Amino acid sequence: MKLVVEEFYKSIAKDGEEVCGDNVEVIKQDDTTIIVLSDGLGSGIKANILSTLTSKIAIGLLNKNLPLEEIIATIIETLPICEVREIAYATLAVLKIDNKGKVQLIEMDTPSAFLLKNNKVKSIKTTEIKIRGKRIKKAEFEMDRSDMIFMASDGVLHAGIGGLLDFGLGWEGVADHLEKVAKKKKELKYIINKMVGICQGYYFTEPGDDFTILGVKYRRTREVTVLSGPPQKKEDDPEVIKELMNSSGKKVINGGTTAQIAARELDEELETSFEYHDRDIPPVSYLKGIDLVTEGLLTLNKVLEFLDDYKQGQLLPEKKDGASQLIRLLLKSDQINFLVGRAMNESHQSLNLPLELGIRSQIVDRIANYLKKLNKKVSIEWY
Amino acid sequence: MNKIQVEICVGTPCHLMGAEELLDLVKNLPDKYENEFEFKSSHCIEDKCEMAPVVKIDGEIYGEQNPEKLRDLLDKYLKENL
Repeated sequence: MKLVVEEFYKSIAKDGEEVCGDNVEVIKQDDTTIIVLSDGLGSGIKANILSTLTSKIAIGLLNKNLPLEEIIATIIETLPICEVREIAYATLAVLKIDNKGKVQLIEMDTPSAFLLKNNKVKSIKTTEIKIRGKRIKKAEFEMDRSDMIFMASDGVLHAGIGGLLDFGLGWEGVADHLEKVAKKKKELKYIINKMVGICQGYYFTEPGDDFTILGVKYRRTREVTVLSGPPQKKEDDPEVIKELMNSSGKKVINGGTTAQIAARELDEELETSFEYHDRDIPPVSYLKGIDLVTEGLLTLNKVLEFLDDYKQGQLLPEKKDGASQLIRLLLKSDQINFLVGRAMNESHQSLNLPLELGIRSQIVDRIANYLKKLNKKVSIEWY
Repeated sequence: MNKIQVEICVGTPCHLMGAEELLDLVKNLPDKYENEFEFKSSHCIEDKCEMAPVVKIDGEIYGEQNPEKLRDLLDKYLKENL
């Protein structure tokens, strides 16, 4: 079974500030996820610029697969030191995880990470190294399928200062809460949101510092196969339907004629819904064994239109129309396989559709490119 | 008693040519129509896309429909069926 790394985080700005002084960057390489958390000195725009600068430089270098020590050395040499306080302008935590369990962690002036294993939070054993005279904590270890790792900026450990607690939650306090919250639900989004709520509570909803909490865990790879359009050669119909049915993960058929071919090949009844959930998108249909059957070109164009403006992490459309359902399936998947038929649809020729609306292969190509940019694995097979 | 089968195409060409209005019409018909007809939607009716929007009533294909034309057709069938 293939596993992928899933991450979720939230950053909250100090009370009265418009932007958060913490910054998180994430990149996904083939089978490795690299996450950088940086906390800029002070708060507001200045801190935000400092942490963004630090994390962007770090992630850029990490993406080139240079040794971690070398990257840290470059960052230490590049970034200025505060003249008054003689400390670095921003902290840095780097977490590099591959899909087989290997984890590398580097921490510079940042709270130690939390490892949740068998419902208990443990600290991660680190060794101290000196790079350019600076003390850096470093760890390399194996992470199990059910483990979770959490990273926090100091605003989380300080939660309560000026509020409910004199000295803040502290590392142990955060660990306690993480254990309790994670016992209820092993879902990152739930845990992070709860932890943010807890910090807000200790701060009396007026955080005295920016704070960020980030979680990482493994989950199974989610895969979807989308069959769009009838094959150019009619004799390929059985093969392409077989390919769709044999694919692992979710199965989607895009296109009315294609759905009819599938119904014929599978000897199942195709039922079309009466409901228009969106006036622009024809209703979906139902076919046994297929997770989603949508209309073809208009639905695809709607998906493309959405991806044109989509930014990672943005909320997905919740509507029930075919395009919204397809968008959700695509964006929640890690691996997307397109099986694209190139038959000319005679029925569309009579409509004189605008050129850019009518060419299925080009629309699928553009959708595939957007998905690749979102770090998804995409394959296209033409029929 | 067997109801008269009515199929309304909502495939791309038919949708673009106003199939949605036909669905709106049949969804809001008085009960007496419900008693006589069974309405279904479809992704394509016998590749008659050049006649979009297409409707099939009791095996007969009717093209270039709009709500008024469809209502008249249904009334015709209703009368014949009485």
